[in-house]
This record gives sequence, structure tokens and C-alpha cells, in this order.
Amino acid sequence: MIQPSPPDEMVDGRGQVRPHWRRVLAALSDLPPDSAEGGLGEAARRLDRAFEEEGATSLLPGLRRAEPSWRCDPVPLPLPAAEFATLAEGLAQRARLLDAVLADLYGEQRLLAGRLVPPELLFANPAFLRPCRSAAAPPPRPMLQTYAADLLRGPDGCWRVLADRTSRAAGIGHAQENRRMLGRVLPHLFQSQQVRPLRPFFDLWQDALQRLAPPRQENAAIALLTPGVQHPLWFEHVLLARELSCALVEPGDLAARGGAVFLKTLKGLQPVHVLLRRMDGRLLDPLEFGGHEPGVPGLLDAWRHGGVRVVNAPGCGLAEAPGLTALLPRLCEHLLGEPLRLPSVETHWLADPDALAAVLRNPDAWLLRPAADGIAPAWRPGRMTPAQRETLLARVAAQPRAFAATRDLPPSVAPFVEGGGLAPRPVLLRLFLAQDGAAWSAFPGGLARVPDEATGPIGRLPRQALSKDVWVLSEEGGRIQGPGAPRQAPLPIRRAGGDFPSRVADNLFWLGRYVERMEGAARLMRAALARLDRGPLLPREMAELAALFTGLRHAGLVMPEDMPNTAASSAFQAALWRTLREGGTVARLFDEIGRLVEAVRDRLTGDMHTLFTLPLRAVRVQADAPQLGLQGLEAVLGSVLRYSAGVAGAAAENMVRAGGFAFLDLGRRVERAQSIAAQLGFALGQSASRIEGGLRLALELCDSVITYRSRYLGTLQPAPALDLVLAEPGNPRGLAFQLHAIRDLLRSVDGGSECELLPPAEALIATVEAMPAAVLAAPDQAAAAVALAPRLAAMEGEIAVLSDAITRRYFALLPPIQQIGQEYPGGGAG
Amino acid sequence: MMWHVRHATTYRYAEPVDIATHLLHLAPRPLPHQRVLAESLTCQPEPARVATGTDHFGNRVAWLFLDRPHSVFEVVAEATVEVTARALPDPAATPPWETVAERASREPEAAEFALPSPMLPPEAEATAYAAASFRPGQPVLEGLLDLTARIPRDFAFRPGVTGIATPVAQVLAQRAGVCQDFTHLMLCALRGLGLPARYVSGYIRTLPPPGGASLMGADQSHAWVSAWLGLEHGWVDLDPTNALVVRDEHVTLGWGRDFHDISPLRGIILGGGRHSLRVEVDLAPG
Repeated sequence: MIQPSPPDEMVDGRGQVRPHWRRVLAALSDLPPDSAEGGLGEAARRLDRAFEEEGATSLLPGLRRAEPSWRCDPVPLPLPAAEFATLAEGLAQRARLLDAVLADLYGEQRLLAGRLVPPELLFANPAFLRPCRSAAAPPPRPMLQTYAADLLRGPDGCWRVLADRTSRAAGIGHAQENRRMLGRVLPHLFQSQQVRPLRPFFDLWQDALQRLAPPRQENAAIALLTPGVQHPLWFEHVLLARELSCALVEPGDLAARGGAVFLKTLKGLQPVHVLLRRMDGRLLDPLEFGGHEPGVPGLLDAWRHGGVRVVNAPGCGLAEAPGLTALLPRLCEHLLGEPLRLPSVETHWLADPDALAAVLRNPDAWLLRPAADGIAPAWRPGRMTPAQRETLLARVAAQPRAFAATRDLPPSVAPFVEGGGLAPRPVLLRLFLAQDGAAWSAFPGGLARVPDEATGPIGRLPRQALSKDVWVLSEEGGRIQGPGAPRQAPLPIRRAGGDFPSRVADNLFWLGRYVERMEGAARLMRAALARLDRGPLLPREMAELAALFTGLRHAGLVMPEDMPNTAASSAFQAALWRTLREGGTVARLFDEIGRLVEAVRDRLTGDMHTLFTLPLRAVRVQADAPQLGLQGLEAVLGSVLRYSAGVAGAAAENMVRAGGFAFLDLGRRVERAQSIAAQLGFALGQSASRIEGGLRLALELCDSVITYRSRYLGTLQPAPALDLVLAEPGNPRGLAFQLHAIRDLLRSVDGGSECELLPPAEALIATVEAMPAAVLAAPDQAAAAVALAPRLAAMEGEIAVLSDAITRRYFALLPPIQQIGQEYPGGGAG
Repeated sequence: MMWHVRHATTYRYAEPVDIATHLLHLAPRPLPHQRVLAESLTCQPEPARVATGTDHFGNRVAWLFLDRPHSVFEVVAEATVEVTARALPDPAATPPWETVAERASREPEAAEFALPSPMLPPEAEATAYAAASFRPGQPVLEGLLDLTARIPRDFAFRPGVTGIATPVAQVLAQRAGVCQDFTHLMLCALRGLGLPARYVSGYIRTLPPPGGASLMGADQSHAWVSAWLGLEHGWVDLDPTNALVVRDEHVTLGWGRDFHDISPLRGIILGGGRHSLRVEVDLAPG
């Protein structure tokens, strides 16, 4: 059979460039091959790099380079204003229709009684969530607040809907990101174009979400509910939360109380009125849906009774069923009293014997799909091996009711950069809509992508794809106007930073701790390396090395058998390489830091995120490079220390003090205090006759050699040296400085002095202040200094206890949930 | 027949539970043959919130939310109901089972219960077991009565050999179980033939009628089957544990596709460690 050739978005049937492409092509041809923006191929490479640096491509946390992922082609897909307006109208009608269908199927089910929807299509659909329906009460309206559709331009030149997306409308963040990146990397492209901006849509959407809040609720709190950092679309969730100015929360951050939903923050429970859900409805509430997923027990109760609005309502995925698609023209006439304006690609439920016969006559012209599941990838009989094809068709013939068939149309093609030129590739279009209670508005852009060769055009958004920015062109001279600012009550001024989720504070605290732990490890390793391969060691140097080695072992960085001797240090160096490489102690810290940076991403500016991730990736690459000896090792440690300093600097200069910074810094100070106490304990833990070496080491580990020398010149005595590293409150590498900072941070976080953690912090300060004074007053300073070693070791434990107390107080470690009950009939008999 | 039901459930936790939510299907469903004259629900400790409503199947549901630490949770549901015996159609006058099955997929009230459900995936062996009771063209009720009588003959009532989520395949293999297992087996078997059947949760009378045998599964929650006879005759309740047609000795709480839809009490707790469960059910003529 000869397939008609698919239409070309850019060129018409006579080989002429379509009018709306002329300006785009002109701008593209203006990219001079040797300028800074140089050439199409270079433009594509620069876009790839920009995405990689932004981390949109490394959707999964961690530092390892993720597989090449979403890419954006430099050539946009322009849509003329009139064409887009027609699509937007058609999609708005579909959205209204699907909302009405959902409201009926989750309510009175007149469509079943009226025999307009076969009951099987509803009841056999796993996306029909029974806990979301009551036989006695209608569901909260609207069911559908956001809607997306995948469209394809068929051989006749008309756009048709390939799939309705009613559950979560994923991909709008990708579309927004494409526009942002294209604007940044190729600003030149946008000059003298009439492209409608995307931002006004987010204002409108945010306003619409605000209005969904329960009545009388001024300044409604909106939250975006994400399954968390492990979700493939995490990056989009971060981005959407930012665009919509709402909190990004995970199920564990929420609690249902008294028929309402709250966010667990440092300052207690704060109400949440509207939840933009980015997770499957079945995961929302373990009480209703069973299973062992986290969820929020009681969330559905709150939703049912209007205590919280959930967008889209749980259960909306039902309307994605291909079996329902076939019924839409008739349902539109019935429910809206008007014909369906924007048709679907021809789709049939195969319970219809005529449709089944037609499909079986020419199976290769169809995409076969589960009747109830619009997300599952389709089978393409034409691309299967004869055996697979036969098996599939036998299943279809045996159970036609379980299948739907959608005509396998070749999509239109659009030009993509290939090498230095352009080549046509098939393209699908995803468009997005949101409603504000009165009308549906279309996102004036979209996500165009090349369908995957293997899986075909149906299915959820892939992990990786080649995409395009979609340009909706405005009418010539037409003014572009966003909606007015939402009407909101004035906000009270707040200066405290307690309103963010406890989980975020917890993550920041541990991010601070791990960065500091990594830095401490690098310092110890560097101090040990400095004593190696410098010729024979003096007994004093051997003692220092032994103390350093104890510190390294204590930190889990080396094993006892790695202890170097004067003869050779190669085994020791190998041990340090091991700890820095895949699976090693420090490498695991790299991973943890990467994970935590990703988890607090919505609290960091784009620049900070880049600063927190890119150098760490570079360190990782450097550490995993083939062995480069002592100098290579020193170079890696140098990079680690520079990274740590960069993080500290960026945080101190960019983060508001009482907010996230307080917990990041608290983590850092607690970790540093613990490690100083431990390391000084090892440095001093030698015989009194060797105390000078111990003091020298103590000063070195606390980065205080230069300060000491400038204050006391060459004379090294226990009391002045210990004062500098223990009690001097102005020494940022000394113990007292950390303890003062901990006390002050606890005060600022708690907003008062009532905190029960302050007395133990004060007691620690008093202890370190008394130490050098006691040494100074002792008749034998060396002996008194050595006697401090066990005290310092004990202190490390006391700081750890304080850290645990901080965790308990602020981070609300909840016990895991368990399912109970399930008394079962007959189970107790006998 | 008047019945007074008392269903008391007590959870004891090894460690205090901070927060608990419970979902209850413990209120008898008002039906043409069942009038609820009085009822009450009491809990210890007092819940912070109680919500009531109707589920997708039309059953009554209560949700309890506790947000203070507690080591014991007790809930007592009591009700007085009047049950009237339903007339059983003449089995021979009911439509052939194939007609009922064919019709079922198109009828909103029946289609849902002819499909597999989460706890009851298709099970060829169960279908084969039921097929012996349904000869071609046989009136549906004749087949149903035959199957109801066969199950307790072929399967031993033996508590303790099955659990809350025992698959039908295992019940078939070990030829033993309790009322839930027999009910699930029969549902699975009927649905395999395309016949709609619901899981009914409720209670059964404790004392044997004069001269009769003792009814097993008494003094606790009970389960049985409601099967569809077509539009004209509607639903008939059959108790495969006791091989009888349900008349007025059963009190109905509600129904669903399988146990999970209508479990009497389930919950989610935070904390609590290990827990123990104690259930007391009394069904007395009122």
C-alpha cells in the first residue's frame, strides 16, 4: 500500500516555504558560521551544553552523567496565530467535555444508565478510582483544571488529537525550559519575531489555582505535590513550583487533620488549600487505596469535604482511556449539545465487531492499545516480528473488549538540525490548557518532539527525546497582554524563616554536615600527604603522622593496614585513591551531597545550583581518572577544598540568614565542631615529651599556624596554642567559634531564647573556654595539655548528642506508617 | 426477624500510636429487606474527627481520625435491625445462565461484578470447578444452588489454614478455608463464567435452629455471595459456607467486588510497634 507522504510543516506541496516560516528561516540563516553564535551545528551543541549545565538532563540525582536526555533543537516550530486559536478552541471544548464526562462517571453515572458509555469501559479501567466516588454525593468540581493533548498533523494537513492527558498534564515545564534556554543561548533568533510570551500563562494559572481555594480563604496556600527527587520529572516539578510561586512538597511533608491538610514546617502545621498533584492519584492516601506507598492518610477525606482542592482531582486519568476516545463525538453532542470540533485520530474500541473486523483485515495500519490505558505504549503490528504479530492478533481476536485501535498515521515533519544543515523529522505536538473556573486558556507555546522510533507516538513522556520550542505567532501588530495581577489581600510582613517544610531543613542540615565532612577529610588527607615522600621522617614527624593516621581511621577513610612507614607510601596513597573513588568513603559523600543538592533544588537559585553541582561533577571526574600519583592526589584534594569553599561562599552571600542558610550553617558548624574535638584529641594524645609536635599538628589542622606565628613568634607553648584552637571565639577554624555559631543559630531559628537546646550549647562553650585557662594555671603545661585528650574525645560525643537533639526537635522524624486492622471473616473462628 | 448486633474491636499497641486513621464498614446497609431501627458507634479514645459517607457501592462508611498518642483503641458498633425473608424465584423459571452472562456486560448494575477484581484475578481452575454446575442452557439459579451446595461438600471449613489475602488458587489446592475463602472461590468461579457476583459482608445467627446443625462462622464477621439472576429477578444471596440461601438469619453490612472493598475495619497508624487485635461479635435476636 502506498502511504501518502506526510505533510511538511515548513514547505507546502509546491515546494514553497510557508509564510510563517520565512522570518524564522531568515533569523536562522543570519547565524554566521564563524561568529560567537556560529552556525546551526554549533547552536545545537551550545543548547545541549546549556541543558547539561542546568541539570535538566541529569534528571536523576547523583553526579554520574545521566544518559543523554531531553534535547532542544535550535529550530523552533512556529504556529500561525489563527491556526493556534483554532486548536485552542478545539482543545478547550475537549477539556469541557472530558470534565463533564468525569463528573458524571464519578457522580450520578447517567452516561451508563443512558447507555452512552458501556459499563465495562468504566469498571474495567484501573484508573477508575472507586474511593473517589460516592453513590450519594457528586464529586467536587471541577474535576479537570489542567489538560494536555498530544496532537499530530495527518496526511490531510489537519491536526488531530492522538491522546488526551487528563491526569497531570506533564511536560509544560519542559516547554518553558526550552523557551528559556533558546532565549539565553540564541537571543538573536527572537529579534524581529512576533512570538507570544509564556509567562502570562503562569500568572493566569496561579491566579486560577488561588481561586480554587475554599471560599473566604485570602492568600490561599498552594503546594505542588511531588513524589520526590527520584521521580523522572523532578526537574519539571522544581521548575513549575518556581513558576507558580508555590511550595514544593512531598507526601511526608503533609498531614491531614480535622478534614484539612497541613504542611509540617519548623513552626508547626501550616494549612495548604490547593494541591497541584504530580503523582498518581492512587498514591495519595494509603488509607483509601491500600498499598504501602507513603501518601497522606486522610487526604481523600479532606478532599471530599472541601478542606483541600486537588488539581486535577484524583481519578481524572480515567478519561485517558482509548476506549472512551471512540465515544467522544457522541458524548459531545449529548453533554454539550455541540459537535466535537477537534477530532481524535480515528480510534475504535474493538468490542465493536465491525471495527474488529476492519482492524484484523489490515492490522498494520493500526496502533493497538489496551482499551482502558491511555498511557501504555501501543503495539505496532507492522513493526513486529511475524511471531509477535501473530500472538498479538490472536490475543486481540480472543479478547477484543480489552483492546482499542488507533490509526497509525505518519505525523507531519519539521526541519531539525543535523550536522550543519536541516533535515526533516516527524514531530508530535503537546499543548496545555488550564481553566480559571469560567474558561479554559491555552498555554501559548507547547512541546514538540520527535516520536520514539521503538515505542511509537503513544505513551508517557519519554525519559529522553529531541524536542522543539513551539512558537505561537501573534497577529501582526497585535498587542500582547497578560492578565491583570491577581487580587490578593495584603500579606503580613514576615521575617522569620520557619515556614518551610521540616524535610527541607533536614536536608539542608545534612548538606551542611556532608560538605564539611568532605572538606575535613580532604584536609586530613592533605596533612598526611605533606609528610610523605619527603625523605626519612624524624621521630617527631612519625608521631604526627601516627596522630593523623588515627584521625583518618576514625573518619573511616583508611584501614589499619594502610599505615605508611618511612620506606614506602604507595600503599597509603592507594588507600587514599580508594576512598576518593566509586564506593569509597569520600566518593559516597560526593553522592550524598549530589542527592541533597537536588533535593533542596527549589531552595537554590539557578546560579547557586550550578555552583553546587558542576564543580562537584568535575571533582568526581578528576577522582575517577586513571591513577596520577601523589600530585594527582593533591590536585583532587585541592579541587575538593575549592568546591567546599565555593559552596560556603555562595551560601553565605546568597541565602537569607533565618531561612535555609541557618540549617545549612548549623550542619556545617556541628560537623566541624565534632571533627575539631576528635582531631585535637588525637593530636594531644601522645606522651607529654612529644607535646610540641602535637601542638604543631593542632595548629595545622585548625589552619592556625600563621595566626599563631604572628601573635607569639617562634615560641610554641601549650596554653597559647590551645587558646587559639579551642577558646578563641574569633578563630573560624577553632572549636569555640563553632559552638558560638551553633548557639546563635539555634537562637535565630527558634526566634527566642526558650529553646531547650541552648543550655547544652552554653555548657559546651563554658567547657572549651575553661580548657586553656586550666592549662595555663597548671604547673606542668605539657602534662595538663595531654590530659585534655580524653576530655576532647568525650566532647565529640556530647556534640553528637546535641546534633541528635537538633534533629529530634526540628526535623520531626515520624515513625513509619503501618497498615493495621484487617480482621477478616472467619479468621478468628475456632 | 429482629436482630441486635454488637461488634467490638480492640487494638493494643506495644508502643503508643501518635496518629491513627481508620476506615469502617460497620454500619448495616438499609435495604428493602433490612430496616435499621437503631445504631451507635462508640470509640475509646474519642477521635478528633469522625466523618461518615457513602462509598461507590452505596455502602455506609465511617472514617475515624485520632491525633493523640494512645496505646489502646477500641471501637464498638451496635445496631438493631429487622430482616425480612426474601422470596426465592422458582429456580427452573430463571433464565439460562448464558443469557444472564451475555446480558451482564451491558448492565450498569451488574457489569462491574462480572469483571475480575484486585483480590480475585481470573483463575481457570475455579471456572472449571464451577462449570460442572452449569450445563448448557441450565437456568442460572439451579446452577447457583448446586454450586452453593457443592462447595461445603468439597472444601473443609478449617480456620487457621488461610489468611486475609489467601489467593483462590491456594484454597483450591488445599481444599480448605473459612467463609471468606469460600466466598472468594465462588465469586471467582462465577465471574469466570461471566456471571456477576458480589462479596457481601455481614453477620450470621449464632444458635442452631431446633434440630438443625450448628452454623459455622458464627459469632464473628461473616461473608457470603450475592449473585445476579438477570434484570427480572435481580440479586439472590447465597451462603456457600453453610450451603444455604440467605433468608432472615443474615445481617448485611454491605458489599463490594471482594473483601478489600468492604473490609469491616482497616487503618493506618504512625508508630505503635507490634499490635494485637481482639474482636468480639454478638448477634442476638432482638
